[in-house]
Amino acid sequence: MDVREWALIAFTILSQMAVGSFIILGIVYFFAARKWGEEEADRLSDRALLAIGPVLVLGTLASLFHLGNPLNAYRAIANVGSSWLSREILANVLFIGVGAVFAFMQWRKISTSATRNVVALVAAAIGVVLVFSMSQIYMLRTAPAWDTIATPITFFTTTFLLGALAVGAAYVANYAYVQRKEPGCADTQCEIMRSTLRWLALASVVLVGVHLVVLPLYVAYLASSDVAAANDAVNVLMGDYGVVFALRLVLVFVGAGILGAFLYRNASSPGREKILGNLAYAAFAVVLVAEVMGRFLFYAMQTRIGL
Amino acid sequence: MGEQNFLVNAVTNTVLNRRSFLKWNAALGGTAVLAKGGLSFGLEKSDKAAAQADEKIVWSACLVNCGSRCPLRLHVRDGEIVRVETDDTGDAEYGTHQLRCCVRGRSIRQRVYNPDRLKYPMKRVGKRGEGKFERISWEEAYDTIASELQRIIDEYGNEAVYINYATGALGGTVAKSWPPGSSPIARLMNCVGGYLNHYGTYSSAQMSTAMPYTYGSRSSNSIEDIINTKLVVMFGNNICETSMGGGGGKVFALQAMKEQSGAKFILFDPRYSETAVSVVDEWIPIRPGTDAALVAAMAYVMITEDLHDQEFLDEYCVGFDEDHMPEDVPAGLSYKSYVMGDGEDGMPKTPEWAAKITGVPAETIVRVAREIALTKPCFITQGLGPQRQANGEQNCRAIAMLPILTGNVGIHGGNTGVSEGGYGIRVMGFPTLDNPVKASISVFMWYEAILRGAEMTALADGVRGVDQLPAPIKFMWNYAGNTIVNQHSDSNATVKQLEDDSLCEMIVVIENHMTPSAKLADILLPDITNFEQNEITSGSAGNTGYAIALSQAIEPQFECRPIYEMCAEIAKRLGVEEEFTEGRTHDEWLEWVVEETRKNNPDFPDYETFREMGIYKVTNPGEPSVAYADFREDPEANPLSTPSGKIEIFSKDLYDIANTWEIPEGDVITGIPVYAATWEGYEDPLREKYPLQMIGHHYKARTHSSYHNVEWLRKAAPQEVWMNPLDAEERGLELGDMVHVYNDRGRLKLPVKVTPRIAPGVISVPQGAWYEPNKDGVDEGGCVNTLTALRPSPLAKANPQHTNLVQVEKA
Amino acid sequence: MANQLAFYFDVARCTGCKACQVACQDKHDLPADMRWRRVAEYSGGEWVRNQDGSFTQNVFAYYVSVACNHCEKPICQEVCPASAITKRDDGIVLIDEDKCIGCRYCEWACPYAAPQFDEDSGTMSKCTLCVDYIDAGQLPACVAACPSRALEVGELSELRAKYGDLAEVAPLPEAKLTEPAMIIKPNAKTKPVLAKAGRLANPEEV
Ligand SMILES: Nc1nc2c(c(=O)[nH]1)N[C@H]1C(S)=C(S)[C@@H](COP(=O)(O)OP(=O)(O)OC[C@H]3O[C@@H](n4cnc5c(=O)[nH]c(N)nc54)[C@H](O)[C@@H]3O)O[C@H]1N2
Ligand SMILES: Nc1nc2c(c(=O)[nH]1)N[C@H]1C(S)=C(S)[C@@H](COP(=O)(O)OP(=O)(O)OC[C@H]3O[C@@H](n4cnc5c(=O)[nH]c(N)nc54)[C@H](O)[C@@H]3O)O[C@H]1N2
Ligand code: SF4
Ligand code: SF4
Ligand code: SF4
Ligand code: SF4
Ligand code: SF4
Ligand SMILES: [Mo]
Repeated sequence: MDVREWALIAFTILSQMAVGSFIILGIVYFFAARKWGEEEADRLSDRALLAIGPVLVLGTLASLFHLGNPLNAYRAIANVGSSWLSREILANVLFIGVGAVFAFMQWRKISTSATRNVVALVAAAIGVVLVFSMSQIYMLRTAPAWDTIATPITFFTTTFLLGALAVGAAYVANYAYVQRKEPGCADTQCEIMRSTLRWLALASVVLVGVHLVVLPLYVAYLASSDVAAANDAVNVLMGDYGVVFALRLVLVFVGAGILGAFLYRNASSPGREKILGNLAYAAFAVVLVAEVMGRFLFYAMQTRIGL
Repeated sequence: MGEQNFLVNAVTNTVLNRRSFLKWNAALGGTAVLAKGGLSFGLEKSDKAAAQADEKIVWSACLVNCGSRCPLRLHVRDGEIVRVETDDTGDAEYGTHQLRCCVRGRSIRQRVYNPDRLKYPMKRVGKRGEGKFERISWEEAYDTIASELQRIIDEYGNEAVYINYATGALGGTVAKSWPPGSSPIARLMNCVGGYLNHYGTYSSAQMSTAMPYTYGSRSSNSIEDIINTKLVVMFGNNICETSMGGGGGKVFALQAMKEQSGAKFILFDPRYSETAVSVVDEWIPIRPGTDAALVAAMAYVMITEDLHDQEFLDEYCVGFDEDHMPEDVPAGLSYKSYVMGDGEDGMPKTPEWAAKITGVPAETIVRVAREIALTKPCFITQGLGPQRQANGEQNCRAIAMLPILTGNVGIHGGNTGVSEGGYGIRVMGFPTLDNPVKASISVFMWYEAILRGAEMTALADGVRGVDQLPAPIKFMWNYAGNTIVNQHSDSNATVKQLEDDSLCEMIVVIENHMTPSAKLADILLPDITNFEQNEITSGSAGNTGYAIALSQAIEPQFECRPIYEMCAEIAKRLGVEEEFTEGRTHDEWLEWVVEETRKNNPDFPDYETFREMGIYKVTNPGEPSVAYADFREDPEANPLSTPSGKIEIFSKDLYDIANTWEIPEGDVITGIPVYAATWEGYEDPLREKYPLQMIGHHYKARTHSSYHNVEWLRKAAPQEVWMNPLDAEERGLELGDMVHVYNDRGRLKLPVKVTPRIAPGVISVPQGAWYEPNKDGVDEGGCVNTLTALRPSPLAKANPQHTNLVQVEKA
Repeated sequence: MANQLAFYFDVARCTGCKACQVACQDKHDLPADMRWRRVAEYSGGEWVRNQDGSFTQNVFAYYVSVACNHCEKPICQEVCPASAITKRDDGIVLIDEDKCIGCRYCEWACPYAAPQFDEDSGTMSKCTLCVDYIDAGQLPACVAACPSRALEVGELSELRAKYGDLAEVAPLPEAKLTEPAMIIKPNAKTKPVLAKAGRLANPEEV
């Protein structure tokens, strides 16, 4: 592991979080707007939406650190025809672009909300393509530990898990802000936040379930594979980095599972916003750490067929 | 990723990845210059589009001591060697083949342009061995050496001046370090009354001493005679690693002979060597130092099954059975008596008996004995590994018993059991005059001769030429050698002894690099390499003999000077300049050598032509040579030069030596070759404390210690200790773990190569790595001689460096 | 590719000497850690200690010298985002340093570990098949270096006609992954691709 691999970890985690947040935000917005009206939904989401921008830019910058020759970075999209890396970069650029257009339109309330929704849908679709491309980069026929369905599943799970918890945390922060600056709307916002957090908590519990189902299956698959490189990967996971692997499982379980469950319970009964907020922050932080560890392991398991 | 802790790994790599940060620094507009320089000395990336036009190509050669002398064609641009190629004359057909150099020759740039290169003359300051030196002028260096030399000669006599064994420049003609008697130093010393000489070599002392007792000399069929054989049986013969190059190297010849003859190859070696990898069909692992036991058991099988060649034994040999023994020798001393258990020990040498000792299963011994006896002809040969043992003299004579028992001596496709030869052309040497001093010691005994020189005798210490040495060694010349510390045994002990400068008072080291031996010098002179002067070399590559005219490729580096000039300058100060030079320069001597060569061999090109050709090759016009063919044809008319004129399975001379020499407890000298259990052998009780037998094979990464400091080679073939998985498992070791290898003499630290390619109970630390003790005295360089013993072998009084007991543990 | 160039490698002749590797480093001024050609050692076998102190075994070992195989299906080229990797008409696969962004994706992908990262330039490097020598009608440095003539270079179809078409043995990857332009002559010790009989014995050196 050197600077480059940390750069990749940062890049993939941050951009997946951004895509996840964008989509989750969209979904929440959709329901919130129907129930509480667009104005309240805007009030809930706009600031969170704007926060995605820096995350994305940060991720993209991090990705540059992964390059040995960053001065040539513009060439990274030269081979969209066959390179998933090119496709990823292209999708990343497009996602930033369309996302920024949407954020700008949304912020300034340009055009109709229907048009804005279309733009948002396009951005979301590009986001999905981005995460998909990312996963395809690793689905190399020469990298058996990566070349499994677990890669896209994991990437998308990470996307939505981090997205959900990031959005949850953002709402908590947003609520705190609203409470101070626009006390008039605090009650409604509180209600929206609570009900949203409940759903987000539920989603993250389900997503952690996906992780906890996929991971063992994946390890079992690698271990039973007759490709030596796959077995080597298991050895990395269970041997050299066994502690990290175990910790990652515990953290994701604690973060998304246990804290998620608490979050759900707390969000269901009124009062104690402070605890609720801290729970949301904690869940996000713990899962973020867990996912970084997961991604670290993902790269550590890079075992290739052949020499 | 290995066993490294994840955090340490992540942090060190992240924080310390200097280059990636520099890269970033550069990308962000920082100082790009920082990233350059200091990376690889002399290895700037060449301009991709650079024209080849400004390059010249110079014929040169690699002249270190690996048995080869390979042609190199150096590309020189702006006074710098920028690329190395090898012979481009000839083709890929054996006989007209290109003499391609080995991996080391390929790396020559990193040896010439090496950060360890000595730059100017230096004298020691501080304690000897501390490695502290001060730059001096050449004048001061010459003056000091001349006056010290004169003082020591005056005080102790010429016998106190020793020219140490040194093979770093053995391939040259004038700039030649080996044999020391043929070096310019010897010529210088012979002009001023001579020097204490030595006999034998670290390479083959036991074999060279022992074989003549059997055959009267140490001859063998040439390697190309394998073409005429059906079965090749090798003992500790690792041609594919010890003879790697094309010039003089035998590996290409061996492979070609195997392909052309279709012969089966069997190898007895504790290691599955590179030769086992490439040419051997059946590898039979054997414990070090036990070959004689194996041979005795095979003889047992042959005799009991009547597979031996009784007629041959009767007609050509002495000492096989009681009917063919010399007179005045008691009964029961014949080889047959020994094998059948009718001799002194009363022990029949059955396959079961040998299996316990050698590790070779009894069935295998029986099967291979039959195969050898029934396949005619059979080419039996040995490397020098089996003889570099505490019982090495016995081993090599014992191995020769197989061709003798089966009548394979003196015929095509057979051999004598001695290392195979090749076809060569003779080039005249540089005349070094006669040495007035008659005394000589065994090559391995200089350590003793420093300590108790004046007590050493012929009968106890193998001193030759005189009954007793008159003086201890007080002055040591060391030109192109690393035996002072690195290649001799027990490095810790030798260093300790030499640190006392009241014993050996003056050590002059003439070197290219700051080696472990150089660090012990009183005066350290920087020699030029053979790429910085003209030279001539010659060699033999299977059926091809050749000579190379090396032309100076680059200017002498730094203040380095040629050896001839150094000796001439010292001669001048000793008042013998005229005798030394005879008015000739180094290059004029080379011309003289060619002229002299042409007197015997008119086909040899004249000096100018030779220099233009670069390489001169001659393919053997005749048949592959067969040792003792004329003897085999007519033993009466062409007797061997043994006392009896026959093959002496029993040597009366050895028998007499056994009865007259003062032989230390445990040393065995016998008329016939027997298995002698030795100190630190497989049967030594010391194995309870040090259970592993350690050998130190000659390694592709180096020629002995030469090339050790070449980065390309260190990465290509790292210094590591070979260990069998069974032994590794007992110690919880895995491939790449750092281990300590130790015994009472010292301790090494190096990584372990856990490999099925070595027998259980045996480890090998490739010899030649530089001795680098850390502050705790642990040798982190991994020099095998930190662990080897100073005790000489019985007859040759030579280095038993493959006989050692050690233990290994995780570092 | 009609004129695809290829390497030929004879297992029986290889002594693992690495003259090829170092000749390449010398030719291309490579630092010690950068090995465009490498020599893998594959060895295995079991040892049994017998009751009587003897031992039995079935040990084997051999070497495989590999560089870039200038594959017919070069996965490196397929994945390179910068289109920095091209394949010439004679099959030689080259990396254009000026286009390379140093993402190391080709390094992940190539099952022969052929592309190697140059820390100094920040770009990828690999065996060029000594394209300058080839264009000048000379043998590549590694081929010209092999003291045992275990290596040859030639036109793929011609080499196949001469030596057959085996391009995979342990510990190399399956040929189907990239269709390497390489032909291997095995010996009796050589194990088939994906064999479990031994292991790569010198992982640090390749
Ligand atoms: N344990 C163990 N020890 C052994 C052996 C073994 O099998 N096991 N083998 C033994 C054998 S067979 C031998 S032959 C000896 C060899 O031992 P040495 O004769 O000492 O050979 P090298 O170690 O190669 O040392 C040669 C030195 O010459 C220097 N040199 C090279 N070229 C030049 C030159 O042009 N000019 C000058 N001035 N110096 C030069 C090199 O830098 C190097 O330091 O080692 C013996 N030592
Ligand atoms: N690459 C390289 N080549 C060299 C040299 C070098 O340093 N490096 N040195 C050169 C010189 S000067 C010399 S003298 C020669 C030395 O050539 P050798 O002395 O033949 O080389 P070694 O490696 O000492 O031993 C050869 C083989 O003998 C095995 N062996 C050791 N002990 C025994 C034993 O008791 N019985 C049996 N059957 N086998 C045993 C070892 O495992 C090894 O494979 O090599 C020359 N060639
Ligand atoms: S080390 Fe020996 S084989 Fe290698 S190039 Fe030099 S002379 Fe030739
Ligand atoms: S030079 Fe030839 S024999 Fe030596 S490792 Fe390379 S391919 Fe094998
Ligand atoms: S060996 Fe690797 S780098 Fe070379 S062409 Fe094939 S895939 Fe590309
Ligand atoms: S490192 Fe360079 S050559 Fe390799 S894939 Fe990336 S851009 Fe292409
Ligand atoms: S063909 Fe040239 S670049 Fe490729 S491995 Fe051989 S020497 Fe190196
Ligand atoms: Mo030697």
